[in-house]
Amino acid sequence: MPTELPYAADAEMSLTYDELEVLRLQYQKELAQDHVTTQTKFNLCWGLVKSPIREHQVEGVKLLQEIYRAEPTRRRECLYYLALGHFKMGNFEEARRFNGLLLEKEPTNLQAQSLAQLISKGAARDGYIGMAIVGGVAAVGTILLAGLIRRARK
Amino acid sequence: MASDLRGQPATSRRQKSKNPMDPVVTEAASSSSSAFSKLELVQKAFMAPFTHKKTDSTRILSDLAPVIMTPRMINSAATVASKPQASITGPTISRSRMDFSSLGRAPLRLGLGSKRITSGDLQIFEATEELLEAEVPEPEGVASNVSLLRGFNATIPSAEQSKTRRRQMRNVDTPRLGLKKLGMSARGLLTDEDDHEGQSVASEDDVVVVKHAQSGKKKSRESLSATKKLGKEELVRQTEEIMLDKENIHVKRSLINNEIKEITHKIQALDDIRAKLEQDLLKLQEEELELDDELEGVKERIKYEQASSHQPASAVKNLHLPPSSRRRKGPAFLPSEHDELPPGVAFMTLDSHTTPITTLDFSEPYGTLVSASQEDAQPRVWDLLTGDEIGRLRGHIGAVHCLQVEDHVCLTGGADGNVRLWDLRRVNDSDGWGEGEMVNLSDVPEEDEEGGELVEHPSSIRNSADENEHKDSSCARLLEGHTQAVTALYFEDECLVTGASDKTLRQWDLTTGQCVMTMDILWAISHPANGSISNPLASQSFPGSFSVQTPPYADGTREVYEDFVGGVQFWGYGLVSGSGDGAVRMWDMRTGQAHRTLLGHTGPVTCLQFDEIHIASGSLDKTMKIWDLRMGGIFETIHYDHAVTALQFDSRKIVAAAGENGVKIYNRTSTQQSTLLTNGHTKPVERLRYMDRYLVTGGRDAKLKIWSL
Repeated sequence: MPTELPYAADAEMSLTYDELEVLRLQYQKELAQDHVTTQTKFNLCWGLVKSPIREHQVEGVKLLQEIYRAEPTRRRECLYYLALGHFKMGNFEEARRFNGLLLEKEPTNLQAQSLAQLISKGAARDGYIGMAIVGGVAAVGTILLAGLIRRARK
Repeated sequence: MASDLRGQPATSRRQKSKNPMDPVVTEAASSSSSAFSKLELVQKAFMAPFTHKKTDSTRILSDLAPVIMTPRMINSAATVASKPQASITGPTISRSRMDFSSLGRAPLRLGLGSKRITSGDLQIFEATEELLEAEVPEPEGVASNVSLLRGFNATIPSAEQSKTRRRQMRNVDTPRLGLKKLGMSARGLLTDEDDHEGQSVASEDDVVVVKHAQSGKKKSRESLSATKKLGKEELVRQTEEIMLDKENIHVKRSLINNEIKEITHKIQALDDIRAKLEQDLLKLQEEELELDDELEGVKERIKYEQASSHQPASAVKNLHLPPSSRRRKGPAFLPSEHDELPPGVAFMTLDSHTTPITTLDFSEPYGTLVSASQEDAQPRVWDLLTGDEIGRLRGHIGAVHCLQVEDHVCLTGGADGNVRLWDLRRVNDSDGWGEGEMVNLSDVPEEDEEGGELVEHPSSIRNSADENEHKDSSCARLLEGHTQAVTALYFEDECLVTGASDKTLRQWDLTTGQCVMTMDILWAISHPANGSISNPLASQSFPGSFSVQTPPYADGTREVYEDFVGGVQFWGYGLVSGSGDGAVRMWDMRTGQAHRTLLGHTGPVTCLQFDEIHIASGSLDKTMKIWDLRMGGIFETIHYDHAVTALQFDSRKIVAAAGENGVKIYNRTSTQQSTLLTNGHTKPVERLRYMDRYLVTGGRDAKLKIWSL
């Protein structure tokens, strides 16, 4: 099957508030009728994941997980969206694992490959910042301690 | 400072909870450092790795814990702990694989502030493990045709944008027509906001205003499309858009089709579940009925055992045991091996009879069976435990038409018009059945038959009973009175009711052997109790002997049916009889009057039974009718292909012999009909009797079959 998956860049393009609202209304309408179609649910998920607001992303990933549980035939696709959602939330570890599972099934999937690169890049960036901070703090700490010790000796 | 804490060896880190809380920890730690007293402590902790051993540092850290923990943290820790899943341990372990990225992220989050850890996040983290372990099958069905994204693009509102844009492109400037107003007034609405209309179109995003040359008013009426030029590029673009829209429609259609299919499946599945549940409900109902019966039986037994413990002497002496098995519906005492038998299978065959079985009865499951066949004056007694013939009941002249067994007491009614009471304990084969006795017996009938026809012989039993005593030790008493064949009998305790082809019913007292009352059916036919309801069979009055051709059995044979009274049963003073005129009569045994006649059968009634609520009667008209005892109406009619010759029922089922090789079982709760065939009769079943899950049938193939139900 030709993979029709969006690239990560697509996830950064947010829907307008009105569009998201339409999707949410549709979802809630079906929820009230006791039968939510997978497509409606996914529409809202995707809209939420695309949103720059973190609460939305969390909600989106949560709904994606529901789809993943309920629709075994859609799992393959959902793996990617879950990875993407986690990636946007900054959970690189989870994103890597979901994406890894997808790549295991479809090693040639271009979108998944590019997402894998993005994830490792993001993780590395976090790592650099982390190292920098750790380093900085360590340095400051040493200086402080040295000062204290020196003062104590005097 | 804070990240120094995180730099601690992994052992101390692990002691604290999960990663999501880490930023809070740092926050709390940094804020606490402002307080001087705490600072000391914190310092101590930080110095720990350098001055103390590892174990000490963890101790200090745990000491520190209450200081660093803010109420919010404690709360969140509590919520995590209250999550019942074991997944808490999962992420924690995976988390312990420390790397710089997670290390760096914590202060990042802290710094940005917007990234707060919510319970939603935690839920997602916890679900991750579970989801990753779930199997990922190949997509199939609509999932392989239409991807979610494709569906998304086809269904989001912006998919409609191009359509609106095209429509606006085709808008033509015309003089104000007031179309909206027309439309509104057509729907009966009043409009007073004309001025807004002009703006509504302009406010749309994608309006393309195309000025067209004012050609003045000299042009007469022209089609609207002719006034507008769009250009080739635009038209090509529109074509592409339309193609795209059409594809979207296709996607939407397949999505909806799939949804419909899925719902159909779901409905199917739900229907299946519903059917199964309904069946379960029926089964429960059956079980309840069974329990009711069992309870009743147990209660009766309590009463009986109490009574027998009060007067043990008299109970032993008494020939007739108080609880009658005909009425008793409680649990029978079966050997435990009986449970191992497959239900619905004839597991024993008794075949020493040579002619079709006419009647049978047994004392209890695996007890004593007595059976009689056509043209055979000697009913046979069987031991049901071994399947051996114990002996024969000798005394009747001519065939035995009916019999009943209670414990060791057996009553038989024969074609000779006599009823004999036997003590089955005294039956044995040892006294032989040589020809001498046969001759001896055949001598007696001639006397009896000649004299018996005439009513001159009063019911002076004493003499003949004594006379018979020495002939066959097992015959305890002889009841004479009927002038023709006794065709039905029923006794309980000391009271016996018989029905005979002389068209009378007689009530007897078994202690004295006297006929207490005679009820004339012919009189009841000519004087119907319930008004002028005509009886279809009454017109053919039965002069002399009663004789009817049975409808053919399943194997095509026919029989001459001569039993005028097909069945009798009583309870208290209420007596019910079914007779050859097709009527089921209810008699009062105090007055001897028939107080109600149930008409409905179009052929002679061959068998009947009643309980507290219903009377069941089977007839040669190939039906079985269940009557409502209180209303006197037909409650249910069950049709068969052949004449019904025997039936017995309880609250759950009706077992019937209906002229076929198989035994018919009608489940009253589920109204399902089933047939017992396995290892069954090779000719139609004629008679049957069951107790609990133990059934004995007699067929026209002269065999007796014993079934486990």
